[in-house]
Amino acid sequence: MKNRITDLRAEHGWTQADLAQRAGVSRQTINAIETGKFDPSLPLAFRLARLFDLKIEELFLDDQ
Amino acid sequence: MQALDEIKATVRLALWTLAWVVTLALAKFGPQRLWDTQQVASWAAVAVNFAVGIGWIVAFTRFLRVIDELQRKIMQDALAVTLGVGWVVGFAYVVVDAGELVARDVDIAVLPALMGVVFVIAFVVGRIRYR
Repeated sequence: MKNRITDLRAEHGWTQADLAQRAGVSRQTINAIETGKFDPSLPLAFRLARLFDLKIEELFLDDQ
Repeated sequence: MQALDEIKATVRLALWTLAWVVTLALAKFGPQRLWDTQQVASWAAVAVNFAVGIGWIVAFTRFLRVIDELQRKIMQDALAVTLGVGWVVGFAYVVVDAGELVARDVDIAVLPALMGVVFVIAFVVGRIRYR
């Protein structure tokens, strides 16, 4: 699943570690989501969307 | 908060693991070195090791519930590979042994030791894969 996390994180001036701390996960998890290696759970996807003040479908894009 | 919970669960798991290893060593070497093969003491040591082992299992399941979801996936993948290897190798040995295809018996302790090594390798591979 594609997502816009890398761009939005850059816009906010956050490092992966900053976002990880705000979302309550490890930096490795944020990195794996950004690179498309790992799809987050629904609760984490909602948490990330809330952090960027977006709807979940605006943050994650269905690539199928 | 999440990080604190993870640290607490990790410390608890480490302490339970240490306790299990110590009680296992006591049950294994105690009869020869500490209490001269007295059956009551030997059974007590095994019972303590078994009880601590149950505590370790509980601590491990709690640890899995608390950790970050990517870490949980890596851990679960490693556990799946470990269980698979344990089953496949274990049953293959049962068949080989029943068919008397090997000349000498293999120590049963080899299987959990092998599973431990497989788990560590699978865990490291998972960490590298999601790096």
